[in-house]
Amino acid sequence: MAEPRTSTESRSSTAWLVIAEQELRDLWLAGRGLLLMFAYSVLLSVTSYLVATNQALNFLERRESVTLTLQVAVAVSGLLVLLGSADAVSGERERGTLETLLLTPASRQSLVVGKGTAALSLWVVSIALSVPYLWFIGRGVGVVAEAVVSGFIVSGLLALFLSGLGLLISTVSSTNRVSLSVSLFVLLALYAPTQLASIGVAGTAGDVLLRLDPFTGGLDYLNKLLVGGHSAGQDIGVLIPTLVAAAVFPVAALATASRLTLLTRERS
Amino acid sequence: MPPVGTLQTRGLRKSYGDVVAVEALDIDVAAGTVLGFLGPNGAGKTTVIRMLSTVLTPDAGSFTVAGIPHTHPDGVRRHLGVLPESAGYPNGQTGEEWLTFHGRLFGRSRPDARSVARRLLDRVGLAEQGRSRIATYSRGMRQRLGIARALVNDPAVVFLDEPTLGLDPSGQLQILELVARIAREQGVTVLLSTHLLAEVEQVCDRVLILNHGQVVADGTVAEVVRRAASARRGVVEVAPRLRDRALELLKAEQLDVAAAGDDRHGQIQLTVSGGTPVDRAATVALTCLLRADIPVLGFSIEGGRLSDAFLAVTGGGTDG
Repeated sequence: MAEPRTSTESRSSTAWLVIAEQELRDLWLAGRGLLLMFAYSVLLSVTSYLVATNQALNFLERRESVTLTLQVAVAVSGLLVLLGSADAVSGERERGTLETLLLTPASRQSLVVGKGTAALSLWVVSIALSVPYLWFIGRGVGVVAEAVVSGFIVSGLLALFLSGLGLLISTVSSTNRVSLSVSLFVLLALYAPTQLASIGVAGTAGDVLLRLDPFTGGLDYLNKLLVGGHSAGQDIGVLIPTLVAAAVFPVAALATASRLTLLTRERS
Repeated sequence: MPPVGTLQTRGLRKSYGDVVAVEALDIDVAAGTVLGFLGPNGAGKTTVIRMLSTVLTPDAGSFTVAGIPHTHPDGVRRHLGVLPESAGYPNGQTGEEWLTFHGRLFGRSRPDARSVARRLLDRVGLAEQGRSRIATYSRGMRQRLGIARALVNDPAVVFLDEPTLGLDPSGQLQILELVARIAREQGVTVLLSTHLLAEVEQVCDRVLILNHGQVVADGTVAEVVRRAASARRGVVEVAPRLRDRALELLKAEQLDVAAAGDDRHGQIQLTVSGGTPVDRAATVALTCLLRADIPVLGFSIEGGRLSDAFLAVTGGGTDG
């Protein structure tokens, strides 16, 4: 009988990389990632076309146009990451492939980290794709570099938050349908306050809601920075819910992963 | 520490809510044994396999696999190969990619994992299909691929949960031959969960029958059959024209015999009572007929097979 080839420790440290590599291959070479990016590009093209053809644009409105396009890019990249994460564990469970993965020495956390890494690649590619659009809309205004950098940071925080959220939901969902439905519902619930803000929410409760929502915080920060012309550190308080969510949800997903099961009660 | 290849459980218990799936399970399996793990559906076989493969956590009890205690689940998994019941496969990957991926999860380098994947594909008869997508595989090919995956880490113990499920007789035979070959060539301990009792008789060194989460029979096929399903009847077949004479001779030997079937067949039913074993009565009957120059065209013992023992110890339970 062959002896184990490497120590358990070294396996644990690289298992997530092996899983991430396989997930990335499945995502990008099997076509799903490319299809999502195509749809994303079409959406950004339509958004860019609408703002670019507005005849009434002046200097300030162009900054708003850049911000609007960036906010769409940030929101949709977050949605893609959430969808990718929400499929991660429940998808394996539904396809009957989870048990085989659980039978390897790779830890449950490695599994979740590897899958989360692949989901985050959707964020990296989508944000990279948004750069030409931002450059086209914001050319001559001197806001493009600032938009790209701030957009990368804010969308990165939101991507971390949403990947953690998606993985958390996926780990405890028995089917992919449940996982995706709950994830989309939560995303819509997070997105709703951004719309309430635009029509003005009265009262303390509404204000608290806006201040606690990581999604609203992130998009509001971009607005203040790019349209309001504020410095990067001036409104950092607005980003606190986003920062907290970006730290807490991935950790929660990892903690939940340690108890990852098949969620089956079938006896045979 | 027990020798490598052994499997040992003590007081293993698992329940789902109020339903007890496995109760106080004690098993000892020696290295190199091919154990037929039998039981009607719902008996708890898959639950036991999932506990032993660390996918499910037992409510109570302990176990060791290849000498590794259950408190070190990653160590247990490192020495274990499992074909889960109704395992799913990633349709978008090729067989070789999938095996290579799993080999790497067991700590193999990429070239080593690929080499092992190709060797195993060849071993299970999928060498030519290794670079085809799994979506194109038949059910039998998927089962063979699953067996290859169970061997990707050179395991000491292999669990095969219903490897022949949904296969036609030819596919079932191929899988069982593969299991027998693996056990013989690699010397691994195999726990084979199946409903194919006739094949278990051929392949397995030992059988363990589970019912309602408890062991109801354990031993070699012969031992289990002897304990659980002692035969009480045999059928002797002679030429129809010689049947009446044969009956007279057998009755003269104090045997309980009667004509069986219609007159076109020369069947004689032999029934034993008390503590007389049917094989002893059969010997007397056959010797008697041969001495009288009555050719015996056929002979069979009813109730002396593993399937009879299975039905006897499970109360005829075939609820799936």
